[in-house]
Amino acid sequence: MCYEMNQLHLEASESTEIQNLYTSKFWACNFKKDKFLRSNIKMCALPNIEFERDLHRKYLNRFLHHSMPSFLANMDTNRTVLAYFCIAGLDILDDLDKISEERKQQMIDWVYQLQVCNAEELVSGFQGSTTLNTMDNNNQNSTYKWGHIATTYSSLLSLLILGDNLDRVDRKGIVQSLRSLQLEDGSFKGAKEGAENDMRFVFCAAAVSYILNDWSGIDVEKMVDFVLKSISYDGGIGQGPDLESHCGSTFCAVAALALSNNLEKLSKDQFHNLRRWLLYRLDTGFNGRPNKPSDTCYSFWTGGALKILNAYQFIESDDNPQFVLMTQDRYGGFSKWVNSVPDPMHTYFGLAGLSLMNYENLKPLFCELNCTKEVHDRLMTIHNQWS
Amino acid sequence: MSDNSSDECDTQHVLYKNRPEWSDITPLKQNDGEHPVAAIDYTEEFEDCFDYFRAVVQKKEYSERTLELTKTAASLNPANYTVWQFRREILKALNKDLNEELEYIGKVILKQTKNYQVWHHRRIIVEWLQDPSKEKYLTEKSLSEDAKNYHAWQHRQWVIKTYNLYDGELEYVDQLLQDDVKNNSAWNQRYFVVNNTTGFTQETLNREIDYTLGKIRILMENESAWNYLRGLLLHDKGGLSRNEKVTDFCETFYEQGNRSPFLLALIVDICSEKITNNGGGDGNNVYTSARAKELCNALATQYDTIRAKYWLHISETIENQANEQNSMDESSTTN
Repeated sequence: MCYEMNQLHLEASESTEIQNLYTSKFWACNFKKDKFLRSNIKMCALPNIEFERDLHRKYLNRFLHHSMPSFLANMDTNRTVLAYFCIAGLDILDDLDKISEERKQQMIDWVYQLQVCNAEELVSGFQGSTTLNTMDNNNQNSTYKWGHIATTYSSLLSLLILGDNLDRVDRKGIVQSLRSLQLEDGSFKGAKEGAENDMRFVFCAAAVSYILNDWSGIDVEKMVDFVLKSISYDGGIGQGPDLESHCGSTFCAVAALALSNNLEKLSKDQFHNLRRWLLYRLDTGFNGRPNKPSDTCYSFWTGGALKILNAYQFIESDDNPQFVLMTQDRYGGFSKWVNSVPDPMHTYFGLAGLSLMNYENLKPLFCELNCTKEVHDRLMTIHNQWS
Repeated sequence: MSDNSSDECDTQHVLYKNRPEWSDITPLKQNDGEHPVAAIDYTEEFEDCFDYFRAVVQKKEYSERTLELTKTAASLNPANYTVWQFRREILKALNKDLNEELEYIGKVILKQTKNYQVWHHRRIIVEWLQDPSKEKYLTEKSLSEDAKNYHAWQHRQWVIKTYNLYDGELEYVDQLLQDDVKNNSAWNQRYFVVNNTTGFTQETLNREIDYTLGKIRILMENESAWNYLRGLLLHDKGGLSRNEKVTDFCETFYEQGNRSPFLLALIVDICSEKITNNGGGDGNNVYTSARAKELCNALATQYDTIRAKYWLHISETIENQANEQNSMDESSTTN
C-alpha cells in the first residue's frame, strides 16, 4: 500500500536547503544518535521522546498550502490523496480550527473542481489531480477525464473533514460508475481503463458506498466472496486469492466487511485465525507481514483491523507508542522506519496509530472509514438529512 | 523505433517547445484553479512535457512523436496511469512491435520495482503478445533485489496461473528458502504451487510436513514456517492434533526445553482442538485444558509477554470450553 515516498526523497536531486525542509537530512547524518536509537530499539527503556504536536501541524500544513518541491512530481496524480492525509492528520491533532474559514472554503472548492460528472461514459468520481485539466475543458468532460476510485474515496473524506455537507457531490453518478468498476470475481478496478484490481479498491468501493449511503453500485455478495477467497492459509488476507497476507490488504478486507455489515460472514475459525495473525504483527512496532520489519503505517493498518475485530485491547500497552515516536522527525512528520525520511502518508498513519493507543488526547477514530469519530458522527447527521 | 530520445543515456533533454517538429502544436497549460492544494513546484521539463501531453490527448494524436512524448512523461511520473493508458492506445493504433515495448517496460520496472502502473503495463503487453516466456526471468531479477517485493510476486503468480507455468517453481521457492528461511513470500508461493498443482493429497502432505519440520529445526523462532505447517494441517483429516509426526516433533522439542512461542502456541491450539473434539476424555491424553492453561501462562509471563492479555484470554476461553464439554459429558452420562 505504501507510496514508497522515502525512495522518492532519496532519489531526488534538489537543493539541500529545500530538501531539508521536508526531510531529516540532519538527523540522518547524525551517526551517534542513529547508533543510539538502533541499539535501543529492542529495549523497553527508551529515552522519553516528546511528541512534537506543533511541528506535525506545521509539517502537514506545509504540504497543503505551499508548493511541494519538484522531486515529489511522482505524486502528481495522487494530490487529493496527499491532501487527504494532511487534512485528516490535522483533524486527529484537532488543529483544523487554525486554518481560516476562507482557506477551508478554497480547499473545498479545489476538491470539487476535480469532480467528474460523466454518467454517459460511467466515469463519474473525483480525479486525483488537475494534471489533465485546462482552461478549455474546465467543468467539461473530455478524454481521460475520469474519476478514480481511490481519489474519489479520499476526496469525499477530505470534503467531510473540512466541514462540507457533500451537497455538490454527484451521488447518483458516482454510484452508477462504481458498478462498472466491479469485476466478475467481485473485486474492483481503480478506474475505467488502465488500472489494476485488488483489495485496496474493494475497500474504496465499500467506503464510497458507505459515505454516499447507497450500496446499489456494488454486488455485495460477490464482493464478500472475493474477500473470503483472499483469506490465506495463515489466517491473514492478501490483495487477492493466493496472494500473501498483508496488513494493508487485511485492513481493507476487514473494513469492507464491516462497512457492508458482513463481518459475520467470517466463520468462527476464520475470525479466530485472523485475529491471531493480526496480533502477531506486534513486534517492536507493528509489521505488515511475518518476518518483515516494523513500519509506522502498520500501527494503523494492523491496529485499525484489530479494533474493528474487537481485539485491540489484547495488546494495549504503554510501550506501544514508542516505536511510532521513534520515527518522528525532528522537523515534524513521521517516517516509515527509525532514521528515515518522513512523508504525509506515514505522518497520517503515525498519528492515527497513536490515536488508537489513546495517546496525547488525539481524537478517537472511526477505523472503518479512516477518519475521526467526530467526522463519522457528522456523516450520520448528513445521512439523516438525505433520507 | 525512433522513440528513444528520453532513454536514460540521453542527458541532453530538449524542451518540446524548442523542437521544430512540435511547432504545429499549441501547448495547453494546466488549470489548477486560483487556490491550489498540495501543489507541486514542477520543473520546467515536467511542465513543458505535460503541456504538450494535454494538447495531444485532447487531439487524440496517435503518432511516433506522441509515443515518444509518453516515454518522457512516464519517466517524469511513472505513476501517472493516464500516460500509460494513452501510450497503449498509441501502440495499438500504430501497430508497434510489442516485443520492443516489453523490453522497454522491463527496464523501467527494474528501476521502479514498487510502482503499480508499470507492472500493470507489463501485464497488458504480455496479454497482447500472449508470450509469458520472459516473465519468470524478469520477476526473478526483481526478486533478487528484494525477495519480498509484493508487486513482483503478484505478477509472477498471475503469469504462472494464467499460462500454467508451475514447472520448476517449487525448486525456485526451495532455493529462496535456502537463502532465507524467514522469507514469508516464498512460503506463500510454496503453498500456492502445491495448492494449484498436486493439491494436498496424503502423499504431498507427508512430503510437505517433513520439509517444513526440517526448516523449523533450522530455526524454531520462525513464524512463516510455523504458519505454513498450520496451513498444511488444515488439509489433514485429523486436524491439528492427530498428525503424529507433528505432535511427536512438538513434544520432543518441548521436552528438550525448547520454548519457542510458536511451538507453545501450537500445543495450546492442539489442546483446544482436542477438548472440543472429544472432551479430553481419552485416558492418556496429554492435551488437556490444564496444560493449555499452563502454557498460556508461560506465554503471558515469559515467552510472549507483549501478547500477555491475549494469552490469558485464550486460557480463559479454553477453560470455558472444557467446562462446557464436561457438563455436556456429565449430562449425557446421567441420561
